[in-house]
Amino acid sequence: MTIRQRDNLIYGGIALGSVVFLWWIIPAYTPPYPGYGVSAALLPNVTVGIILALSALALVRNALSHVLAKSKRTDESRSGDMREADRVHLWHLARFMIPCVLLMPAMKWMGFIPAGLVFMLLIQYLCGQRKPVTGVLVAVGIVGALYAAMRYGLGVPMP
Amino acid sequence: MIEVIIAGFIDALHPLNLLFVLVGVIAGVIAGAIPGINGPMAIALCIPLSYYMSPVAAIGFLVGLNKGAFFGGSISGVLLNTPGTPESAATTWDGYPLAVQGKGEKALRMALYASVTGDAFSTVVLILVAAPLAAVALYMGPPEIFALICLSMTIIAGLGTQSILRGLIAAAFGVLVGTVGMEPVSALPRLTFGLYQLERGISLVPIGIGMLAFSELIIQLERHIGNGGDACTMTFSAKPEDRFISWAEYRGLIKTLLRASVAGTVVGALPGLGAPVASFFAYDQEKKRSKTPEAFGTGKLEGIAASESANSAVVGGSLIPLFTLGIPGNVAAALLIGAFVIHGMIPGPLMFEQNARLIYAVYGSLIVANIFLLGVGLVGLKSFCKVVQIPAAILYPVIIFTCIMGAYLAEYAVFDVALMLFFAFVAYFMRKFDFNHICFIIGFILAPIWETALQQVIISSENSPFMFFTRPVAIILMGITIYVVIKSIRGSFRKTLTV
Repeated sequence: MTIRQRDNLIYGGIALGSVVFLWWIIPAYTPPYPGYGVSAALLPNVTVGIILALSALALVRNALSHVLAKSKRTDESRSGDMREADRVHLWHLARFMIPCVLLMPAMKWMGFIPAGLVFMLLIQYLCGQRKPVTGVLVAVGIVGALYAAMRYGLGVPMP
Repeated sequence: MIEVIIAGFIDALHPLNLLFVLVGVIAGVIAGAIPGINGPMAIALCIPLSYYMSPVAAIGFLVGLNKGAFFGGSISGVLLNTPGTPESAATTWDGYPLAVQGKGEKALRMALYASVTGDAFSTVVLILVAAPLAAVALYMGPPEIFALICLSMTIIAGLGTQSILRGLIAAAFGVLVGTVGMEPVSALPRLTFGLYQLERGISLVPIGIGMLAFSELIIQLERHIGNGGDACTMTFSAKPEDRFISWAEYRGLIKTLLRASVAGTVVGALPGLGAPVASFFAYDQEKKRSKTPEAFGTGKLEGIAASESANSAVVGGSLIPLFTLGIPGNVAAALLIGAFVIHGMIPGPLMFEQNARLIYAVYGSLIVANIFLLGVGLVGLKSFCKVVQIPAAILYPVIIFTCIMGAYLAEYAVFDVALMLFFAFVAYFMRKFDFNHICFIIGFILAPIWETALQQVIISSENSPFMFFTRPVAIILMGITIYVVIKSIRGSFRKTLTV
C-alpha cells in the first residue's frame, strides 16, 4: 500500500466515523436540551464537525495531488511505499494486548500473585527473555514488590 | 502577603515533602536514563501514586520527576549514543565523542551543571514573572479564555506535528473524548454509551498511561525484540581533568549557559514548542557564535552546556502559561494540570488568589528539586550509568506490569485498566498514522475549560453570536487563530500540489 492510499483510507474512515457520530451517536447518547444554558450536544457536534471538515479537506488535497501527479508524473514521495517503522504490526500488537486484557479476569479467578507471575513470565518470554532463572526471579520480584506496596503500603483493595 | 510566601516555602521544606521531591528526582533520573522512557511517561505512570500525597508533596514529586528525567536523558545519550529523551539528542552530538575519549564522566558532569543552571534560571524567571502576568490575566473573561485555548491548540497542532490537519484532528478528537461524562450544565450523562462507569467522565490516568507509556512500549518492542539492545562498554578515565569540570571551565561557559537558559525559558513559555526545539535551537545558536564551529560534534563542552541548559530551562518556562493562564506549555505541564485538578485546584490566574500558599510551596519545591538534582547527580552519577545496561527483556515487562497496576491504582477500578488498554490501542494507530497523541492529550485536558468558557460566553450573551465583537482581545486572538489555520492549510496544499 502506498502512503497516499493509506492516507485516503484513514481520512475516509475518519470522515465516515464523523458522519456516524453526527447522525446517530451524538443524538442518541446526549441528553436533550434542558431549556436553559447550552445544549449538551453543542461541543461534541462542533468537534466532530471540525474533524469531518478537516478530513474532507485532506481528502480533497490528496485527490488534487493525485490528479496533478498523474498529469505531471512527478509525485513520487506520496505514492512511495511506507517506511517499515510506519507499518502496523497487528500480530505484534495482539500478542502483547491479549495477555494484558486477560490479566484482570485472571487475577479475579486465580488471585493476584499466581496470575501476576504467569503474566510476567509470559510477557518476559514475548520480550525475548530466554533465561528461565532470570525470568522467574524478575517475575517473583516485581509481583511480590507490587503486592507488598499496594496491599500493605497503600492499603489498596487488590484486584 | 509575606506571611503567605513564608508559609508556602515552609510547606515546601516539610520533611515529607522533601522526601517525595528527592524520590521524584531519583526516579526521574532513572526513568530518563532508560532509552525510550521520558519525563511525561514517568509523570503519567506516577500520577496515581500522587493520590496518596498532599497537594504540595504530589506536585513537588511530579516536578522533581520531570526535572530528573531531563538530566537522566543525557546519561544514555552520552554513554550509548542513544538519547534517553528526544531533548537530549543534541547533547549526544558532543557528549558521546567525549565518552569515547574516556571523558564520559566529565560530559555527564557538564550535562548536570548545565541542567541545574538552566533550571535555576527558569525557576527564577517563573517566580518573578508569573504573579504579575496572572494579575493581568485576571482581566480576561470567558471570551478571551475561549479564544486563547483555540489559539493554543492551533499552535500546538501546527508546531508539534508535521501536518496541521492531523494535529487539529487529533486535538479535536481529544476534546470529543473530554466531553464524555456528566454534562456541566444539566448534569446529565453524555456520550456514555449506557456504561455507568463513564458517567464520572474519563480520568487522565488511563489516557496518560495508555497513550504516553503503554503505546510507546509496544512500538519500542517492535524494534527491541530479537536484538539484544545497546550494550554500554564505555570506560572512564581516572585522570581528574577527564572526570571533573573545573571552576574555570564552568566560568568560561557562563555566557553559553545564560544564552541557552534564556532560549529554553522563552521556548518553554510558548505552547507547543517543547524541549527538543529549545535544545536544538540553543545548540545551533552556540555553534554559529563559536569561533571554532567545526569543533562542535567532536566533544565540545559548549555543545553539551547549550543543549542541556536550554532543555532544562523549559521546565520552569512551561509553568509560566500554566500558572498564569491555565494553558500548558508542553505535555508535562498538561499532565501537571491533571495532577492539580486531582487535588482540587484549577491552574490559572485565580490560583494566585485562591491557593497563593500552595503556589509558593510549589516554587519552594522547584528550588528544592533543583538542589536535590545537583546532589543526586553528583553522588549517584556512576550508579545511574548502570541503569542503561538493564536488558530490554527485563525492563519492558516490568514497566508493562507497572502500567497496568498504575491504571488500576487511581480509582481501584478494573474498568480503568480496560480504558488504559483501549487508549494504548488508539495511540498505537495514531502514532503509526502520524496523528500526534500529544495534541490529543492536550485537547482532552483543555476540553472542560474550553467548554465552560464557551457556555459562559453563550449564556452571558444570551445566544448572541456577536459577543466576540465586543471584546478586542478575543477578536485579536481568534484572528491570529484563523490566520494560523488558513496559512498552515494553504502551505500544506501548496506543498502537496508542487511536489
